[in-house]
Amino acid sequence: MFALRLILGTHPLVLLRRLLVVVAATGVGLLLLCALGYAVAHPGRPSASLPRLLWCALPLAAAAHFAVAVARADPVTRPRAGLSAVGLGSGRLSGLATAWTAFCCTVGSALALLVYLQLRGGPAGRAAGASELLAPGRQLPLPAALTLLALLPAVASVAVAVSLRSPRRPAGRSGARAGGTEEAADDGTPPAGLPWGVALLGAGLAAGAYTARTGAAPPPAGPAGSLGVLAGWLLSAAGLAVAGPGLAHLCGRLLQAGSPGPARLLAGRGLMEQARRVGRPLGVACAVAAATLAAATLYGSSGAVSLGPMTGLGAGLVVACTAATLLTAALETRRARLDTRDALLELGATAALLRTAVALRALVLLAVFAPLTWAVAALTVLPLTR
Amino acid sequence: MVAPPDNDVLWARSLHYSPHGSPALDGVSLGVREGEILAVQGPRGCGKTTLLRCLSGQLVPERGEIWFAGAEVHTLSARRREQLRRDRFGWIDPAGALVPELTVWENAALPLLLRGTPHRAALAAATDWLERLDVGPCARQRPGALSPAQRQRVAAARALISVPTVVFADEPTATLHRAEGAQMLRTLTTAARSHRITVILATHQPEVAAVADRTIELLDGRRVGSGQLGDETEEGRDACSLSV
Repeated sequence: MFALRLILGTHPLVLLRRLLVVVAATGVGLLLLCALGYAVAHPGRPSASLPRLLWCALPLAAAAHFAVAVARADPVTRPRAGLSAVGLGSGRLSGLATAWTAFCCTVGSALALLVYLQLRGGPAGRAAGASELLAPGRQLPLPAALTLLALLPAVASVAVAVSLRSPRRPAGRSGARAGGTEEAADDGTPPAGLPWGVALLGAGLAAGAYTARTGAAPPPAGPAGSLGVLAGWLLSAAGLAVAGPGLAHLCGRLLQAGSPGPARLLAGRGLMEQARRVGRPLGVACAVAAATLAAATLYGSSGAVSLGPMTGLGAGLVVACTAATLLTAALETRRARLDTRDALLELGATAALLRTAVALRALVLLAVFAPLTWAVAALTVLPLTR
Repeated sequence: MVAPPDNDVLWARSLHYSPHGSPALDGVSLGVREGEILAVQGPRGCGKTTLLRCLSGQLVPERGEIWFAGAEVHTLSARRREQLRRDRFGWIDPAGALVPELTVWENAALPLLLRGTPHRAALAAATDWLERLDVGPCARQRPGALSPAQRQRVAAARALISVPTVVFADEPTATLHRAEGAQMLRTLTTAARSHRITVILATHQPEVAAVADRTIELLDGRRVGSGQLGDETEEGRDACSLSV
């Protein structure tokens, strides 16, 4: 009960974020049920059902990523000196965050089941003239549906538990100001992922180019080589996600190079400090944007929608979840810098200076990540359209 | 409206501030002379920090006047008060309030950078002040790697670097051990006296207040039992505030 009070007593924005997790879980659940419905409707064509099921993995990953970002940014699950003193420390709060994520995702999945059954007209599928995704006229295998629906709650809670596993100290006003924030970025060492990320990205692009050279068509039109192309895309996306923090750190380093004035100094150092927090979602967003660009170039002209309504729903979910994750990370960054902002205002720094620093940070990130996205998309598409 | 005495660099009259119903300041008046070290002593919660924040223009009192160098502070816009803090005041926070992502060097140079001093000159001045306060060797470290005593000294260097007219030190030794606190106070007062910087020092410890030229005591937002140096005894003064 105490946990529920803690959770319900928060700011409306926080409640909205949790509601968005529920909505994302509903979307993923619907998508999985649609894949199941297609498979039930076409028992003789597993080769057509499998891509649909695999396609659901991307929105599922995006939703889990979003759930983790929301759990990390949640003020309730952050260790606090007051709660620590009464015995509700970092471990219990992590457990609370995990349980709450599982609850949100389960509610979303249950909603998805309800919506799906409503669309079908009951478990027996009595709705006449329904789409093939709803498997009209056939009995829906309930254990299979429940297993699929349990996927997201399980994946998301495990991800939250793992990401909150490291012991976090209560960050009060003095603790955060002294640099003792929960992120271990105090020493100013750059995030280590940049070389690995670049290597993965290069390998992905090379794999795409190689399989395209052997005459494969973009997925899913050509079944033979499409696996290689798909693997190349996934590798590139993973590379961007891994390289994100390192790139953001590099942006910060560039921004404060030379002999900077206060705005450039604060913006650059702030970016270097927050690189771990914003870099990963930024890399993922970059990968999603590149994939969207590439897909629009490849499929946009022909208008081929291969997986039916599932394509739009899945792509929409991935884009929305990625954008929401990025926004959550940005808000968390802002909260983490509140103490620094107070300290600067005590010194007499103007609000305009702080705004300039934030704008500079956003501008340099945009200036680096936008061309990168475009380049990755162009390089992905190039071997396939030649 | 009464003009303040000429020899007071900072002068306040019957300040009232009650943010959440309970009065943090209830008719406090004081005058600070140039180059003086004034201790504001009292237990926790007596309004020391609120008084310092009002005097430095971070808070605007609900009633009462604050004059700095012959000009009103309480009627200034937020922007002008920011400028005043940047150009004329220094601030030492109980926990240092250093910017965690900047190095010690840049933290100390920050007031000069905010004023528009070129990077190189600001860092040279910061080196100078850090040496003087015995934290020169850690100039390239982050505040997170320092001990509390070193952090407080960096905060003192940051407050003094721009050679402000007034330095507000809010419990500067609260997180330090006795020996470290005493040394920190000694360096602060020495630097302030050699540059004729006025220091207003809030503390709850009598031994800290002992380094000051003069001490005023606060209790529950009011001044109590102050020494009778007596140059402000006109009527119209709030009955609760005793004269200096």
